[in-house]
Amino acid sequence: MSNECSYNGQEMACVLQKIMEQNVPLETVTILLLFPIIATIVVILRQVIGMHAFGIYTPSMIAIAFVAIGREDANNIKYAVAVYIVVLFVGMFMRYALKKLRLLYLPRVAITITIVTLSILALLTLAGSLSRTGFVEAELFAILIIITLVEKFVSVQIEKGSRTALILAIETLLIAIIGFYLMSTTTPIGIKITDVILRNPYLILLLIPFHIFLGKWTGLRATEYMRFRDVLKKIQ
Amino acid sequence: MTSLNFMFEFFRAGSSILGMNARNLTYVRPHNLSGAKKLADDKILSKRILKKNSVPVPRLIAKVSSISTLEKFDWTTLPESFVLKPNQGLGGAGIVIVYAKKKGRNDAWIKSSGSILTVKDIKEHVRNILDGAFSLSNSPDIAFFEERLKLSSELKPYAYRGIPDIRIVIYNKVPVMAMLRLPTKESDGKANLQQGGIGVGIDMATGTTTTAVQGKSKIVEYIPGSRMLLRGIKIPHWDEMLHLAVKAQIASGLGFLGADIALDRDRGPVFLELNARPGLSIQVANTAGLKKRLERVEGLDIKTVERGVTVGKNLFGGEIEQELEETSGKKVIGSIEKITLHGKNTKKIEVEAKVDTGADSTSIDEKLACELGFEETLNAFKKINLADYGEISEKNADIKTKINDDYSGKIPDLENVTIAWSSSGVTIRPVIKLTFEMDKKTIKTKVNIVDRTNLKYPMIIGKKNLHKFLVDVSK
Repeated sequence: MSNECSYNGQEMACVLQKIMEQNVPLETVTILLLFPIIATIVVILRQVIGMHAFGIYTPSMIAIAFVAIGREDANNIKYAVAVYIVVLFVGMFMRYALKKLRLLYLPRVAITITIVTLSILALLTLAGSLSRTGFVEAELFAILIIITLVEKFVSVQIEKGSRTALILAIETLLIAIIGFYLMSTTTPIGIKITDVILRNPYLILLLIPFHIFLGKWTGLRATEYMRFRDVLKKIQ
Repeated sequence: MTSLNFMFEFFRAGSSILGMNARNLTYVRPHNLSGAKKLADDKILSKRILKKNSVPVPRLIAKVSSISTLEKFDWTTLPESFVLKPNQGLGGAGIVIVYAKKKGRNDAWIKSSGSILTVKDIKEHVRNILDGAFSLSNSPDIAFFEERLKLSSELKPYAYRGIPDIRIVIYNKVPVMAMLRLPTKESDGKANLQQGGIGVGIDMATGTTTTAVQGKSKIVEYIPGSRMLLRGIKIPHWDEMLHLAVKAQIASGLGFLGADIALDRDRGPVFLELNARPGLSIQVANTAGLKKRLERVEGLDIKTVERGVTVGKNLFGGEIEQELEETSGKKVIGSIEKITLHGKNTKKIEVEAKVDTGADSTSIDEKLACELGFEETLNAFKKINLADYGEISEKNADIKTKINDDYSGKIPDLENVTIAWSSSGVTIRPVIKLTFEMDKKTIKTKVNIVDRTNLKYPMIIGKKNLHKFLVDVSK
């Protein structure tokens, strides 16, 4: 692999240097290249460990949002988690608050989003008054991405009940935090992984055979060993 | 080292369990093609297809497929009780059960929770259904009304509010595993395991329940808060249910099917739902691995429904009886057993006897007693003028002692007399010594003689002689 090129002091494969020279920001390239890795983490946590979360899209997007918020300082992730938790609480609260009104699905989600937005605004104001600048300056789109979680949350609540929705939301949060630590350039592991990927971007192609293997794998998941432990004890 | 070995065995045992990955990749994907899956997700269509193939289903009352039909709907056509469902609802969401009409009103009903449901409420719920509030990815849906099934008396004591159902997993026309699902207080009357319902494993051969689980993995023995034992419940119409499940698999084209069957008070087994992605908790309820069972029926050439049912019963049943005999050291017998009686002069007579745990002692018919050589005893006993001993009643207990004092040793083979209170009134019966064989065990005992000419079996075996046995009333 060629790693003799560099850009702004960051060593990288020459092909990436060419891309940078076309004025594509380093950050964009980094996040795009890390996206398949986040997806891989979600797949492993799902297929091998057995965490469910809200599919692959939601946890990946939230992990990316966390990376964006924690770009300056890894500690800022606590603000991202705060936003996430507010979204969940408002989502749960609104379900009970709106139950009596018996509204159709989309208007109900719209009302929930309105209240969520106002709550986040209040949260930002509070953070500002406490001079939490890291939060106040947090990436707008990152916060919006976390807010859109509420639709997923409400629909799972309707289909599978509050308990399941809450469990899935917590799993999604865990996956996003794991993803954040593995990808953010402000965490020790994140720096390393980013470094390796920038030097050897072709490595992400190796993930494809790995996913083909996982896609054909029929073994029990770690959580299933837990779930069926009594059966397993009896069988052996 | 041993703990390492234990770990190794633990993980090796994993190969007999069906996990989510294997279920989706090895069974659902190749065997449940999209057409068949669509059928399973379309309740009205599956109702029609199943009915056509002579599988009984809850009767369709009416369906509402658009807002304009909803506005024109004649609400007086709805019966006293019904169930309102979304056609493509998931996991029981959006289902409304109505028990009765509100007295004196034509436009209001009473729900299971006791609250009132008006036409206005129904219309709004139907509108939500049409809008896709309960369907996958919120696609527009159809609402329908169907007959409400009534709880059968056999399963009534075990269910909290809702209707229990029986889930049978069918693969390659063979029923491989089954469980009884019971709604509980925790599950709010729903027979759904994830919501706290109880799943009880079923022995495939006999349809008798084995082990039970509440929720996802909690092993339970009794209905919570009661002394209702979950083991040993005999599922009524078991064979018929197995047949229905296999028939439904053939009709639906779902190679790997979870069949949900309920038991209606009047109609018997009624097919509730086709499930193209059956859950995995059935393995916990049965404490058995599904994958191993599926592998055993893989590739078998099953031609008829009858054959599939027989194969399933033979392969995956019978363990319960063997297990009981091993752990208790007692034999399992049925309610009717073949008995060999040892008469006087080594004469042996074989009869069918009724095993009656409600009776204290064993009795035989007069005619049978004569055949066994006790004619003389019986005749002598009959000559006793019982009126000499006063009124035969519970109060007059010393009547027994008096007769014994007077006749002991005078009538051949008479051991004792007994006062029996039976459905035919109070009688005084002679008691003799007798030896008989039941299920290869020899029992030496005392039996009483009574006139059983109008009864089906010439002998009943009472509790006194049953301590070496367990009685399976279904046998």
